[in-house]
Amino acid sequence: MSQKKSGFHPAGYEPVLLARLGKPNSRHIDGYVADGGYSSWKKILSGVKTGEWTPVKVTDLVKASGLRGRGGAGFPTGLKWTFVPPKEKRGGKPVYLLCNCDESEPGTFKDRLLIETDPHQLLEGMMLASFALDVKHAYIYIRGEMVHGAEYLNEAVSEAYAKGFLGTDIQGSGLTLDITVHRGAGAYICGEETALIESLEGKRGHPRIKPPFPAVSGVWSSPTVVNNVETLACVKHILDRGPDWFKTLGRNEKNTGPKLYCISGHVERPGVYEGPMGLPFLELLALAGGVRGGKKIKAVIPGGASAPMLTAEEVQSLPLDFDGVAAAKSMLGSAAIMVMDENTDMVKAVTNISKFFAHESCGQCTPCREGTPWLNKMLKRIVAGQGKRQDLDLMLQIANQMGNGMTICVFADAAIAPVLSGVTKFRSEFEAYIAKSAALDYQLPAPAAVTDKVAARVAEGIHS
Amino acid sequence: MAKVTVDGREVVVPDNGNVLEACRIAGVDVPHFCYHPRLSIVGQCRMCMVEIEGMPKIQASCTVPVRDGMVVSASSEKALAARNATMEFLLINHPLDCPICDQAGECKLQDNAFAAGLPVSRTSEPRRQYPGYDRTGIGPHVIADMTRCIQCTRCIRFCAEIAGTGELTFIERGGHTIVWTHEGKVLDNEWSACTADVCPVGALTTKDFRFRKRVWWLDKARSVCTGCEIGCNISIEHRDRQVFRFLPRPNPDVNDYWMCDYGRFRAEELNAQDFTRPVVKDGGSTKETNWGDALERIQKAVDEAIKAKGAASILVIGSANLSTEENYLLNSLFRTRLGVPNVEFVVDNGALRRIKNPKAEGNQEGWLKGLESAPNSRGAVAAGVTRALSDSALEKLSSGKFTPAVLYVADAAFAKKASDPAFVQAARKAGFVAVHARTKNALTEVADVVLPVASLSGKEGTFVNSQRRIQAFSIAIVPPPVVRTDMEVLLHLGKRWGVFDTRWTAGDVFELLKKEIPLYADAERESRAVAGYPAVISPASAYDSIFSPEEAEAKLIAAAAEGRNG
Repeated sequence: MSQKKSGFHPAGYEPVLLARLGKPNSRHIDGYVADGGYSSWKKILSGVKTGEWTPVKVTDLVKASGLRGRGGAGFPTGLKWTFVPPKEKRGGKPVYLLCNCDESEPGTFKDRLLIETDPHQLLEGMMLASFALDVKHAYIYIRGEMVHGAEYLNEAVSEAYAKGFLGTDIQGSGLTLDITVHRGAGAYICGEETALIESLEGKRGHPRIKPPFPAVSGVWSSPTVVNNVETLACVKHILDRGPDWFKTLGRNEKNTGPKLYCISGHVERPGVYEGPMGLPFLELLALAGGVRGGKKIKAVIPGGASAPMLTAEEVQSLPLDFDGVAAAKSMLGSAAIMVMDENTDMVKAVTNISKFFAHESCGQCTPCREGTPWLNKMLKRIVAGQGKRQDLDLMLQIANQMGNGMTICVFADAAIAPVLSGVTKFRSEFEAYIAKSAALDYQLPAPAAVTDKVAARVAEGIHS
Repeated sequence: MAKVTVDGREVVVPDNGNVLEACRIAGVDVPHFCYHPRLSIVGQCRMCMVEIEGMPKIQASCTVPVRDGMVVSASSEKALAARNATMEFLLINHPLDCPICDQAGECKLQDNAFAAGLPVSRTSEPRRQYPGYDRTGIGPHVIADMTRCIQCTRCIRFCAEIAGTGELTFIERGGHTIVWTHEGKVLDNEWSACTADVCPVGALTTKDFRFRKRVWWLDKARSVCTGCEIGCNISIEHRDRQVFRFLPRPNPDVNDYWMCDYGRFRAEELNAQDFTRPVVKDGGSTKETNWGDALERIQKAVDEAIKAKGAASILVIGSANLSTEENYLLNSLFRTRLGVPNVEFVVDNGALRRIKNPKAEGNQEGWLKGLESAPNSRGAVAAGVTRALSDSALEKLSSGKFTPAVLYVADAAFAKKASDPAFVQAARKAGFVAVHARTKNALTEVADVVLPVASLSGKEGTFVNSQRRIQAFSIAIVPPPVVRTDMEVLLHLGKRWGVFDTRWTAGDVFELLKKEIPLYADAERESRAVAGYPAVISPASAYDSIFSPEEAEAKLIAAAAEGRNG
């Protein structure tokens, strides 16, 4: 396989979201404005008083573009915006826009690139969305680990204030908008929109019972729209170039626009690649230099750790968009494509993913709190050579008991996807481990930490 | 109101109700852990799963508000499978050592495991342990054992929403989640033991009761707390003539589901019984005697005093700790029959007690407040006993301006004053002192006659609380031989002047109260036949019957649904 470095986008494709990647000082406002940035926001600021620009017009443009949420669920963004109750039905409550920058899905790193290289693109998108939604205060909830990202975003926000793109009565337009950057504490679950809202309110990141949905009662019980970084960045480009242009990028009417793909795993050049929505998997793989060492593919996770795994056959003609991956019974999610080559130990891979979910379960709902560590313990036991014949069927049964409405949020569904798909599609590998199992009459030793503790208590005479 | 069909039964549910409440009103028992009628809905135990027509996924019934025309299948195969799944998840890490757990017998996990759990365990993984978080006191009254916790957060929500103090929280996350106090805090609020009440498992237990008695041996009697004027409804739990604990008895009009630690931990004080036979003073020495002799001495002293100095030379002290019936008998005998003008009582103001109940009549900013440290000052007044003011005979006695020929004290611990040395010295100057007493105090030391009486657990009658609600309490324990209740003592004493019939029960005296006391005119007394316990239902209260389960439960649930906001 060729080691020659090629671009981060397909030949002939003009990058949109990453257009300014690599420019010196791309994250500062001067360069951004020089490249034509904030032109849409200026258009609105000057057009709002004349009535040329109305919130409905912006929403309609976004609706017409067919933009779907880039955070993972792929819900139509324009439609989501229309769920916010009209002003007279809000009872005086403000509307909040939250930018979900809690990018924690294993294998996903596109939002981080966006905010670290071109944060003003996101800010402009947020300004336009705020105008469409009558938002006076917008928040960016950024994952705690993204220290530089938070720093750059804060810098960008102060630059926007200094240049008069944010604040009260912006450039005499009568519009008011403040943007606050809020750092999370690094919990995966805080990327779930209601957990994000709880966390922003200063509480533990526990997903809320839905309904009510955030559009009706979100942060501080007010109507709230939560959008992903990439989604909001796309809004800027829709306003710049119009929905018809936006639709030309994409496989069909329902899957439109530019898309960032994070490819990782056993490929020559893992990283973020931009292409149109619906880029064929093989084309993306070729951009990334193919499978490392010219090996064969064994499995691909197309949308982050929570997406069901696909086999090499299933990805041969896979278009990478929401409906294309869904048709293959997986999901595009955050477009975090993880490639595993033929030498990958799938049992260890599934165990590793299940460890992540056992660690990140918030602990609210019984099936998830108890089920994720149970699955992980069983997998670890199989890897340790202590598997039992009934383990595989038991794992599938347990996994099926956890998802599909058994929990408040979809974390459990995400946690069982790799186990269900891994055990089903690569069952022979699991069976090989179990066949080598040392002990079918396996006995559990009591953990030393516990026995020591009890012994100490007995010695102190306070064992009760 | 919404019409909901549960397993083919149509029921009417208040609009704020949820599907779980609809199921319970319909008499379908949907198991649950985290739902509590007075705490916010979190829907996180995932035990109360049901199928609802029109919703493709299975639903936690407590999280779904009722809608008119909803059709719920609470017992479908899918619902039962979902609940079995949750039970399995709860049990993979919960220790299966019910025999050594103090919650056994009143454990929801145990009950639900018996009702719906799998007969075998499919796990062979090591059970989760919490070194450092097991069997540890987290406050003055509560011991926490996280190995038993099922993370339902009822205790956290109790502290945050009812007590308003928020000591408890989740620490760690996922499978390691621990319910504990915030760093540097202890679980020390006025109602901390209620966290053990709401805990469905043995994770939180009270220090006082822990490992004292298996709960299935305990008998229960409906009673009323005597700690303050709120009159929280309680259940006296006893066995072998010994009181082990009080539990709050739910009453949405008074104490709701709660009671304070002060009231709760007075339970074992009821077991004290210093006097088991009447004691009389004979020429400077004390001796035990029989009831005939003791009452004879009192009769003689009273008759002589009236003959020599007139009825005004007698002072009778009633008590706000006595039932209205007892105060009424005291007043009838001394004031009405014998013409004694000084039948008085005095009540202390103690520490302020509070019970959260925003819906209760007479609440102040959501709280029922009790300042008086006795349960029945209003009943005593209604019975005709005079509240002692500054110019009363009782106050004159305290200040030495009045020395009665006979001092008759119907409750040796009527107030703090009873153990005040100055008062006792003044009282001793009286020609003759008779007291009803259960435990020794300074007053019993100086009395000429001490009549041994039973504690609250041995009596029945009614109290009138700060809301002017008449509340009945019933007998838990038959008093020891020879010891009599205050009412029996007064009946036997009255018989000597020909006024009372010694066969009267508290019920008979209650009928007299209905005729003669306006406050009691509309009160209804349930027949003894109902569950074997007498109960008074004052006009506004229909919740006294917690021991006749279905109806009361449905009423409680309906009240819970009506009371919830949104």
